[in-house]
Amino acid sequence: MQLKERSEQDVTVLEVVGRVDSVTAAELGTRLNELLASRERRLLIDFSRLEYISSAGFRVLFLATKQAAERGSRLALCGLSGKALELFSIAGFLRLFKIATSRAEGVVALREG
Amino acid sequence: MGVVETSILNKIRDLARMPELVDRFAAEHRLSPNVVFGMNVALDEMLSNIIKYGYADDAIHEIRVRLSVDGSMVVTEIEDDGRPFDPCAAPEVDVDAPAEARKVGGLGIHIVRKLMAQMDYTRIAGRNRLVMKMLLEQGSAERQACN
Repeated sequence: MQLKERSEQDVTVLEVVGRVDSVTAAELGTRLNELLASRERRLLIDFSRLEYISSAGFRVLFLATKQAAERGSRLALCGLSGKALELFSIAGFLRLFKIATSRAEGVVALREG
Repeated sequence: MGVVETSILNKIRDLARMPELVDRFAAEHRLSPNVVFGMNVALDEMLSNIIKYGYADDAIHEIRVRLSVDGSMVVTEIEDDGRPFDPCAAPEVDVDAPAEARKVGGLGIHIVRKLMAQMDYTRIAGRNRLVMKMLLEQGSAERQACN
């Protein structure tokens, strides 16, 4: 798994490339925690280059939603498609996030709110 | 021919070997990305469960993994000498619960049940044996287009 970050307008985009599983999820969790603990008020996680995600990944995303809520930060996901989108649905996670189809749409959605 | 077998130790870091094994198996059978996705998730969920909760001691244990094709099914088998545990009998999790009441425990097994066409558990001679089957689906191994 690789994490790539960039800032688009006032939104931090965290792109997750590769596999999010028992081996790699902690690294994603640590970075999400750091971003949300610092100044980030608007965070978009881009999963368009996600290979697969297991429940270890859902666990860190769940913790991130709680942390974001506590700090009044806004969190959204984009780039989910195919089997990954199906898995988010199976896990009941689509309702926990604002979901955008593209990065541009996600940035707009986070800036508007 | 076409069967992949390996053993890992009960260490989470050993799971890092699995995706490569699945890729090799998938290339040989020209499996679709969806099947590869399902196998990777199923292996990660079940093996991490065994490693984290399966053993009453701190000793080193071996877990066997076998990937094969049986007719129209792709078969993922896991065998371990941990505590008896039947994932098919584990209680359902409520994924529709409101966010405040959500629990993430049990989610992995829920996901695997939904991804697999069939799951069979047996306890034989002090060993757990889990056989998970998905419909054989062939297709381009190329990654799906991203936006």
